[in-house]
Amino acid sequence: MKKSKTQTAIVVIVASIIALLFLLPLIFMLFTSFKALGEAMSSSALFPKSWTAENYGSILGIGAEVPVLRWLFNTGLVTLAGTALVVFVDVLAAYSLARLNLPGKKFFLSIVVAALTVPGIVTLFPAFYLFRQFQLIDTYAPLVLIYSANTMGVFLIYSFLRGFPKDLEEAAFIDGASVLQILRYVIFPAIRPVVATLSVLTFLTIYNDFLWPSVVTSSDEMKTVTVGVANLVQGANFVNPGRMMAATLVATLPALIIFVAANRYFVRSVVSSGIK
Amino acid sequence: MKRKLLFSILLILAMIVSACGGGSGSSGENADGKIVIKYINGFTGGDGEFMKKITNGFNESQDKYVVEESQEKDHYTKFKTGNYDLVLIHSDNLETYRQDNMIQDISSVIETAGISPNDFHPVAKEQVTFENGTFAVPLDIHPMTMFYNKKLSPVAPTTYEEMKTLTDELQAQDPNLFATGIPSAGLGEWFIMTMAAQNGIDMIDGNHVNFAQADLADALMNYNDMIFKDKISPSGLGLDGEFQAFMKQVDEGGSSVQTATALTGPWYYGAVKEAYNDDLGIASAPTLGKEPGVYGGGHTLALPASVQDDEKKAGIAEFLKYMYTPENLINWADSGQAPTHLETMELVEQDAEKYPLAAQNIKQFDTFLGAPKLYQYREQMRYMVENVYPQVIKEGMTKEKLMSELEKAAEQAKQIADTAPQQ
Amino acid sequence: MPFYLTDGGVNGTMKISRTWSLIMYLPFLICFVLFLIVPLVYGLYISLHNWSVFGGNGGFVGLDNYIAILTPGNIYSTAFYLGLKNTLIFVAISVIPLVMISLALALLVDSIPNKLKVYFRTIFFISYAVSVTAVSAIFKWLFTGNGGYVNNVMNTMGLSSINWLNEQPYAWIAILVATVWWTIGFNMILFINALDEVDQTMYEASSLDGANWWEKFSYITFPSIKGVFVFLTIISVIASFNLYGQTLLITAGGPAQSTQSLIMIIQQMVFNQNNLGIGSAMAIIMGMIMMAIVATQYFYSFRKE
Repeated sequence: MKKSKTQTAIVVIVASIIALLFLLPLIFMLFTSFKALGEAMSSSALFPKSWTAENYGSILGIGAEVPVLRWLFNTGLVTLAGTALVVFVDVLAAYSLARLNLPGKKFFLSIVVAALTVPGIVTLFPAFYLFRQFQLIDTYAPLVLIYSANTMGVFLIYSFLRGFPKDLEEAAFIDGASVLQILRYVIFPAIRPVVATLSVLTFLTIYNDFLWPSVVTSSDEMKTVTVGVANLVQGANFVNPGRMMAATLVATLPALIIFVAANRYFVRSVVSSGIK
Repeated sequence: MKRKLLFSILLILAMIVSACGGGSGSSGENADGKIVIKYINGFTGGDGEFMKKITNGFNESQDKYVVEESQEKDHYTKFKTGNYDLVLIHSDNLETYRQDNMIQDISSVIETAGISPNDFHPVAKEQVTFENGTFAVPLDIHPMTMFYNKKLSPVAPTTYEEMKTLTDELQAQDPNLFATGIPSAGLGEWFIMTMAAQNGIDMIDGNHVNFAQADLADALMNYNDMIFKDKISPSGLGLDGEFQAFMKQVDEGGSSVQTATALTGPWYYGAVKEAYNDDLGIASAPTLGKEPGVYGGGHTLALPASVQDDEKKAGIAEFLKYMYTPENLINWADSGQAPTHLETMELVEQDAEKYPLAAQNIKQFDTFLGAPKLYQYREQMRYMVENVYPQVIKEGMTKEKLMSELEKAAEQAKQIADTAPQQ
Repeated sequence: MPFYLTDGGVNGTMKISRTWSLIMYLPFLICFVLFLIVPLVYGLYISLHNWSVFGGNGGFVGLDNYIAILTPGNIYSTAFYLGLKNTLIFVAISVIPLVMISLALALLVDSIPNKLKVYFRTIFFISYAVSVTAVSAIFKWLFTGNGGYVNNVMNTMGLSSINWLNEQPYAWIAILVATVWWTIGFNMILFINALDEVDQTMYEASSLDGANWWEKFSYITFPSIKGVFVFLTIISVIASFNLYGQTLLITAGGPAQSTQSLIMIIQQMVFNQNNLGIGSAMAIIMGMIMMAIVATQYFYSFRKE
């Protein structure tokens, strides 16, 4: 399909205007974070009249009031561990369902599919109550473990494996490879795109989750970025908007950088996924 | 092999996670042979460090006990789901926690500490005294406070009439300037209850808050008049609007509005002081109704029902004894909070220069009217605060319409009150 | 091995022990049972009891919690229906923009020359990296009624200020704008991927036939991306049903409780009224409503084929 140069130019201009509008909230956050209290409260001009870095000093300095870095660490740990756990558990289960000789396979498969339809809210409060009974509230355990019952991943990989020819595995098996070796050297390379998709989706889910971490954490040191920032926004006590924006920005920046850097990868992985 | 590596990383991570599940339970009673007292409060704002000073001071003053203080935003949830030996309870929540058997009579502990309910201002004493005992030690009262910008209002207005005069002067300067701001959310409860207090309305009917009173409708319509008839407040201020409008600068142009005073919570002191410095004035809430009166909150310290160990109780008594020594409790006044402990109040009044906010708010104690002692009081207020009050300050509200809304609110409150456990 | 199972696999060419199969399935099974089945069953159990967060089980009440929630005229049903109504309003107003705007963006990005495409794709996707709380923080200040940024811009354009967060329908608009900004990138990426897989030769053939843009879209593009379209509609419905962070943080449920979502209501039941029994029953009813809506959508979309 060929288009005239003017057509292309118009498209690019329109897209640029929309892109600018899209970036505006982030720009607003950036500039507000450099405003001092009085100005942040009184004026809503985009650019600060006088620039100050004290908001950043107060959140990043020693003995900072707002432990943003700790929250970032928690989010990083929880998202990575949660994603790894989901991938580990789901790959094995899907392989087992698709290829191996699992007793009651049909039954297991149907509960996996049925569980896909259970909305999270149904299990959230009972799960909270159970974790509480075991004194695990405000630890990393509930923050990570709850995501491991992810049937979506099993389903994705299972569907993929069903459409994947068995010949290679059988050849490897005849050559005397063990189940684990087949999984490692034959299956895993083949399902990598689906695993990548699953990782991305799981990562995003855990990273963006708000209700669950807000229910199972209470101390400042255990909060994830989402919950920590929420406290700043709600603030029973007064919170300086400039400082809130600075904290929000610091909390968001690593994710932004990861997203921009891994953008191609994200896109490619979603391309080859089974979501159709 | 890259893949091998990836695989083993996954495995290790999975193991770490499952290991996390096992550890980190609640800590034991003893650390270096000391008896641990777990104390939880919600002081995550600027006041937190002053409470820490008291706790640290106590920990250094003796070797038998150690107070582990946690300051949590959601400290009530954490308290309900954890194990603590001393808990901060807002005075409006005491009745609920008492009826739910989450806290116990503290009389014997404070007796050991040498503290008597009579050591406190009568208002505070009343808050913690119930028919079956004393359920908390009062810490402070934070009434609605008036901040004023001396550039716009050199003296604090004290009555409705003075508010009106002030607004007329300001409006003559700039139509975006007003005397004060009435917010639609945030401090709705304080505005409702202050107006009730100033009109001598008894809000209690048996087990619930009684909103369905013509007098209350009349009183609340004052706010509507302040906005639409007398232009004392701009219309359409939102959540925390009383504070935000006070912090605006009207010369920025545009349509933003600014107020000369803010009727708000004392916790904004740090922010308003930073913005206005020497131009900032602090005063008592003005009388907008028939008689002086002010509503607000209060902090108290309560003993969780689970604490049975006598040694622990002795430790708590020891800690309270330390805290309620005026030289120590004065730290709390330093945070801006107004202590209700009589001897400490005296100390604050002697040095009003050093404790401007606390000294000012102590003056409001005599006209202070706290929350009624009702089960689930906060939930009983919810419909009124979130649904009815915002309509009060909307254009076109009439007393008749308001009455029917107040009846709904009263009905809601009654139903919530009826969920109380059977005694 | 405590339970050694004999090799099965008579039908396949590969013979792998049942033990291995089970061992590999086991980690998932454990997680699945512990963190989904157990809470699910426990939630059902709690919902049949008078259960306080602090005091625990207060006795079996049968279906009383469900009856209370569904029978109008008491505090529980009033709260539940209010939350349900508000949530349904949001679902109704949000799903079309979430799907259609992202499709429009995807089409726009798709027609940008390849060299520039990647930059635009990144920009439109970037907001998904911002957590819901940060999104709320930003939009709460942008939409502040008294001299907020949006109002300032409107004033300079000669429009009068709007009390965004305290009046309807503006409060919903503010929440909708924030939600669209936040999640649209994800939908867009899925659409772009689907568009990439549309057979280019079909476009060329239709160009020769003199088809216009709309004809190309409705006969070639849309049928090829219909699967993704349905998928995104369903997940947008689910996401909108789970509305929580935005209304909690931007409007705090106001004005006059009109943006109190169902999840906010359930959360209040559990943590403010300590009533886990009612909260669980509400969650289960909500879950069933969601499942019914999603199932209807699913059947409706695929029935015709």
